[in-house]
Amino acid sequence: MSSSVPRNFPHSEPRSLLAGVLAVLVHLLFIALLVFGVSWKDHPPEGMMVDIWTELPKPVQEPVKTQAPPKQPKPVPEPVKPEPEPPKPEPVKPEPPKPEPPKPEPPKPEPAKPEPQKAAVAAPVKKPDIAMKQKPEPVKENKPDLEEQKKKEQEKIKEQEKQKELEKKKELEKKKGLEKQKELEKQKELEKQQEIAKQKEAEKQKALEKQKELQKQKEKELAAQRQREQEAKAQREAEAQRAAQQAAARNQITGEIGKYKALILAKIRSRIVMPPDLPGNPVAEFSVTLLPGGDILDVRLSKSSGHAAFDSAVERAIFLSKPLPLPPDPALFNEFRNLNITVHYRE
Amino acid sequence: MSTTVTQDMSFLHLITSASVLVQLVMLILILISLSSWWFIFRKLFVIRYEIKKTDDFEDIFWRGVDLNALHQRIISSRYESGSLERIFAAGFGEFTKHPAGSDLDAVMESTRRAMRATYQREMDYLESHLSFLATVGSVSPYIGLFGTVWGIMNSFRSLSSVTQATIAHVAPGIAEALIATAMGLFAAIPAVVAYNRYASRTDQLATRFESFMEELSNVLQRRAAE
Repeated sequence: MSSSVPRNFPHSEPRSLLAGVLAVLVHLLFIALLVFGVSWKDHPPEGMMVDIWTELPKPVQEPVKTQAPPKQPKPVPEPVKPEPEPPKPEPVKPEPPKPEPPKPEPPKPEPAKPEPQKAAVAAPVKKPDIAMKQKPEPVKENKPDLEEQKKKEQEKIKEQEKQKELEKKKELEKKKGLEKQKELEKQKELEKQQEIAKQKEAEKQKALEKQKELQKQKEKELAAQRQREQEAKAQREAEAQRAAQQAAARNQITGEIGKYKALILAKIRSRIVMPPDLPGNPVAEFSVTLLPGGDILDVRLSKSSGHAAFDSAVERAIFLSKPLPLPPDPALFNEFRNLNITVHYRE
Repeated sequence: MSTTVTQDMSFLHLITSASVLVQLVMLILILISLSSWWFIFRKLFVIRYEIKKTDDFEDIFWRGVDLNALHQRIISSRYESGSLERIFAAGFGEFTKHPAGSDLDAVMESTRRAMRATYQREMDYLESHLSFLATVGSVSPYIGLFGTVWGIMNSFRSLSSVTQATIAHVAPGIAEALIATAMGLFAAIPAVVAYNRYASRTDQLATRFESFMEELSNVLQRRAAE
């Protein structure tokens, strides 16, 4: 009995925990696929988001250093080594295409400064050389002291002579000044007289010019008046022509309308079965409402002839004669929309 | 699978902006999908293990080992034993309980009954949770569809207040509603595939078990007759 297998002993299920982990993994994979798949589709619009990349340029200083060299060659072709490096920044940047412009701006000053500094350093070094050459010259002059003393004495004498000459010149100048003042006064008086004369002449000329201008204005006004008169005449003629044309058109239209009205009446008359032996010449008037195309919408007896047989005969004839003949021009249809038809018993 | 109409329509945005009921449907579907995948992997491991165990046991059995020793070995490691080993242990245990000289037919009958009972239990164990996979496969698309219909209903209802109806008014709602259908399909398709595969595997195992039971009966009967 002890050897018998218990009826219900559970199976030790293999790797059930691993199964749970795998299930979660499958879902994570699926979600990742979805999220990345959808965001992959969104990438083009996300490229518009420049804000994300404005913060990054600082860490990307390496390309800045390497990018600067290609722009240096313009002023000085000294930095030849960095030139092969520029390709490196290009692979780093393809992700942010727009922020590129801001990046190069900061580097410009950096490389620019060293160049002027180098140039400045080189220049002062050369300048002293020139200064050194200049200095020795005065040193040579200092050696002959005696000559200098003699020169100084001579210079002093010369200066004294110059002062004397200057004093003489001043006296002469004073005399000349007095003479000049007298001459100037005379000249001023002459100039005043001349100016007065010139003013008078100018006034005369101005008066003449004014007269001429007035004459010109009068001529212009006359010419303008003539032109206006001519234009008015032309307008009148054009209006007359238009009126004539319009009248002609109206005549044509009225003629056409009359013609088609006559056609309509003739068609109706042809369909009337006249009741025999009516006394006198009775007249029946109908108002007919037409549709475009000649169909009859409505027929009303507006004035009876006094004979019911004749009235009904005419009405039947009107209905029989549809479609009524209408002019081909649709603009004329308004004239036929409401027709008054008058039918005489005897023509 | 979800249509991206505007640039702010990321997948997460679609889910978070869905209506409460649609979100509930999505949650249910996620739970169903998780548990279904869990069972898929569990059954995968279990059925593989059973097939391997069955192969091994048949190999050992038909090599002609001592049945008593085999029985003892199986009972000593009963928790790691496979289904076929258990069936053998049940049958052989029942066969050895009868004293020698009792009615052979009765002995064989009780042995067969014991084996059949164990076989039923083992088949029940092997087929457990397969019905769950079948249910997931058939029901989860409908749950997803329900969420989608509800979401589309809402998005169309919101159209009624708009005078100028454009596709842009409806598209986000439909997109987020369609996610529910997608989730339902995601849960259903693997469940159906796994169910069909595992059902055929368990059927194969069942026929192997049954044929082994018949063969074991013959072996035991011969042994009792000797």
